[in-house]
Amino acid sequence: MLPLAQLKRAVQEAVAYLRTVPDVAEAEVFASSNANLLTRLSYTSNIPSNGVEEPKSLESDGIGLRVVFKGGSPLLVGFGSESGDMSLTAVREALDKARKGAVRDPEFVSLPRLGDRPRKSISNYHDRKLMHLTDRQLVELGWAVVDGTLDAFQSSEELLEWAKSPDAIPDLGLILTGDVIVLQERIALGGTHHDHVLTDESALITSMSTSMVEQQFSKGTGWHVGSRLDEFQGTSGAEAARNAIRAAGGSRVPDGEYRVVLGPQPVTDLINNLLIPSVQLGTFQAWASAFEGKLGKRIASPLLSVYDHGALRGHAASKGITDEGLPTGRTDLIRNGRLVGLLSNWYETQRILHDPDAKEKLGVDPAKRRKAIAPRNGFRTGPGGGRHFDRDPGVTPTNVIIDGSETVPSEELLRRVGNGLYIGRIWYTYPINGITQADFTCTVIGDSYIIRDGRIAEPLKPNTVRINDNLRRVLNGILGIGDTRKPTIVWSADEMVHAPEIAVEALHINEIGEFLEAES
Amino acid sequence: MTDRVSIDVIDRIRPTVAQVAQGYAKRLPGMQHCDIRVEASEGVGAYAENGTPKGSGEERGFSFGVRVLAEQGGAVAPGYYGKSLGAADVDNIGKTLREGVRHAYDRARASATHKAASRGRFGKLGESLYDSALASVDIHVDTINAVYEQDPRQLSLEKIMGQLIDVSKAVGGTSSKVRYNGAGAMSLLIRDLFCSSNGSNIDHTYAQTEAVVFVMVNGDTGPLELYDFNGHHRGWEIMERGYDHEYIVAPDLMSFATDLAQQAVATADAPPLPTSDGDVTVVTDPHYNTLLVHEIVGHPSELDRAMKMEAGYAGRSWLLNSINDTQIGKQIASPLVNAVSDATIEGYGSFPYDHEGTPARRVWHIRDGIFEEFLNSRQTAEILGVAPNGGYRANDAAMVPLVRMTNTFFLPGESTPEDLVKDVEHGYYVKGHRVPSIAESRENFRISANQVYEINHGELGQLYRDGAIQADSKDYFTHVDGVGTDFKMYPIPNCGKGQPMQAKRMGNGGPTMRSMAKVVGP
Repeated sequence: MLPLAQLKRAVQEAVAYLRTVPDVAEAEVFASSNANLLTRLSYTSNIPSNGVEEPKSLESDGIGLRVVFKGGSPLLVGFGSESGDMSLTAVREALDKARKGAVRDPEFVSLPRLGDRPRKSISNYHDRKLMHLTDRQLVELGWAVVDGTLDAFQSSEELLEWAKSPDAIPDLGLILTGDVIVLQERIALGGTHHDHVLTDESALITSMSTSMVEQQFSKGTGWHVGSRLDEFQGTSGAEAARNAIRAAGGSRVPDGEYRVVLGPQPVTDLINNLLIPSVQLGTFQAWASAFEGKLGKRIASPLLSVYDHGALRGHAASKGITDEGLPTGRTDLIRNGRLVGLLSNWYETQRILHDPDAKEKLGVDPAKRRKAIAPRNGFRTGPGGGRHFDRDPGVTPTNVIIDGSETVPSEELLRRVGNGLYIGRIWYTYPINGITQADFTCTVIGDSYIIRDGRIAEPLKPNTVRINDNLRRVLNGILGIGDTRKPTIVWSADEMVHAPEIAVEALHINEIGEFLEAES
Repeated sequence: MTDRVSIDVIDRIRPTVAQVAQGYAKRLPGMQHCDIRVEASEGVGAYAENGTPKGSGEERGFSFGVRVLAEQGGAVAPGYYGKSLGAADVDNIGKTLREGVRHAYDRARASATHKAASRGRFGKLGESLYDSALASVDIHVDTINAVYEQDPRQLSLEKIMGQLIDVSKAVGGTSSKVRYNGAGAMSLLIRDLFCSSNGSNIDHTYAQTEAVVFVMVNGDTGPLELYDFNGHHRGWEIMERGYDHEYIVAPDLMSFATDLAQQAVATADAPPLPTSDGDVTVVTDPHYNTLLVHEIVGHPSELDRAMKMEAGYAGRSWLLNSINDTQIGKQIASPLVNAVSDATIEGYGSFPYDHEGTPARRVWHIRDGIFEEFLNSRQTAEILGVAPNGGYRANDAAMVPLVRMTNTFFLPGESTPEDLVKDVEHGYYVKGHRVPSIAESRENFRISANQVYEINHGELGQLYRDGAIQADSKDYFTHVDGVGTDFKMYPIPNCGKGQPMQAKRMGNGGPTMRSMAKVVGP
């Protein structure tokens, strides 16, 4: 990775140069250096495997410009970038690209205004050890998880009982897959319309593990999210293994409507795939939100509150500034069941303020609700994370916190459900009829149980249930919210959701996959 | 001053890449295998919304990735490295590549040491930690050029932007019910270079032109959003004139976009599909079967997934329990069902060699209803004891390849699509794919459709919106009782797999087919 000082210097030089270019009205310069270090894990007891399957990394650095050119209306705005180089040569190339591709977007108002004293919301919040991981350390992180998992398998009395002998344990079909990810990010941002170059440095470490005992049709998961290397224990695999063993011997349930407790992962999956897309300002702009016209109105149980907060120290997805140089902070999305705010970047906020249909789209006059649409989430994310120089700022959540006006222990949630299901992990959760309709479908793939008389009774066999329901029904049917949140990640999502367990009045379930058991 | 990166950079650096893979890498102690992939691309892209321009620009890419298998401590393990490059890297490319090889090599050796230790520590459980190996392939030295009329490098941004604005205006003008639309397109030349320590040296250039259209309609029964993709391995000419070649469906961009808008407008006024009590007869059109074959044939036939390597992300496959317990040779579908992956025929998933130098060939997944073959990589082929069949690809040279579909499709049958509908007393005609959701081992699916028509006495009747079909995959396969002659193939540009997620492009398709499934509404 390139040092922060180099990024800062490159931006300063670029800004100084751009101020001399005759046709440039204003320009923003964004330099970044990113590394995604990852060990992908794959262990199977009865198929040859590597354990640590892919120790790898993905690195990129470069400089990107957003430029407003002089003359004419609407404003002429372009974007250009150069990879692997931050010299003035690269800046000239990027400027040339921006000039060639510039368009007159009638909804473009201005580049972000940072104010007279641009500031960072948090500083010195990253772990220097995470920023300097060696190849050997990267590999060790992965093997720590694999070895922990094999320890858990080897010491399990249940596995020995099922296998009948130590030599036959591998025949149970034991699986560990997952990954350990370290994300390193450095950025510098400046512009011709202000004097400051802002810099930011952030890192996070996550570990996600899935374990199975195939012969027992059981699956369990474990995960960890942190912002410091010394927080990493390598225990996600062992946790997944223990959860898989615990979930063995599951039963099926028939079609029907069930009261459920949703665990942190299903809550996160629903939030990521269904709710977040519908609480972004750009979605409202396109008439495409499930809550179109409902800003300020009740959309969920009064028990539920949800907010995004990008400036929480110690939280893995926190950043000092956005990728537009604006402060990160808290955006309340749902407060006691009411939709009170939306995620946005500078462009979306400016254009809704000038949109003649804004009141119909939002349900309120955005000029009177500026705090609700403050641009705190303009980030330039790419595949695998990172803050990328070659992208325009989109809208990305950071730390999404689920809260309750009243929270209760897990045992109380089970008691409120009475008879139903504990859903611990879902998959392929998609808005099956589009975002606007809020219908969703998914399958239950592990960590799940049948609840009887207010207690966990027995495991629910994984991959035997498909859920078909609607987000609005879920949000309005909340029976209770748990008092313990867990930072949770889902595959390919950028945000961390700090999710509790949530009990819900009803979910519609279909039984599936019976032919697999008939064949086994 | 360094020249701007173009795909011509590959000519300049090809000898250096080969030297690093075949010279430098091979001299490192314990090195078993090294391959280096380099990718350069150039072209243009643009996007319009509601008839106004939103953004356009040149697109240039330059990156490399390294794979190493190395021995240390009595075990062999893999290591990888990937990096985005720029023009400034060209003059020092040898040094940059060697550094990348070194990182991958150090990771492989460190991992091999740990693997050997874990083997010893965990006894029987450690025995499956094998020495990484690759099934052998012939050495190939080859250069394959792109096919196009309009060179993406010469395409003007004004032209592409102007056409997108016209398309977006036309979509908006389809009906007052269209509240929002977006249209984006790009046209690129992409050049891949593959060099391996055993001497393979393959230079492949191809054109890629693609568009996406999104339409948001406010209908009588509520808002409806539809989107779709159009594209092929040709230049911009396909967007202006369309591409008419047997089974490839690639209309000109204006027709594509306005047809989608008209479909959305018609459907947004329709009532929602009622859910059936049980299975009913369903006739699915080629566009719907594009996503169906993708999800319930292609993905479970990927051998890395079948070998549980994706269990934590995209799941497993019901086609393989263990090495000695698979569906190979077993009847999993009606004898009318045939499905293949074939990168050698024309389509959005065509290529001559995969990203480890294995020549492409036709892979038979289902023949007369019997499961025959997985799509594989050299690594997974070696484990299963079969020959590699060219399925290993990444969406960028800096990423690690995975087993990916190529052109994966249902083969045509002997019934006309009209007869498949005419024979149905009561059922549903399912038209156009929308959103999928598949169970963990691909054993069950629910895939929504753009439109669903009720069939009564062999005639199409009521149109419904927000409908899907849902079934267990094997039940669906075994109830196929009609396969049409009307084979069509479509582009799928956004198949997600791997960590970090890679969105890969491929071709999928099939003819009209008839089977049994539950129809599911909101």
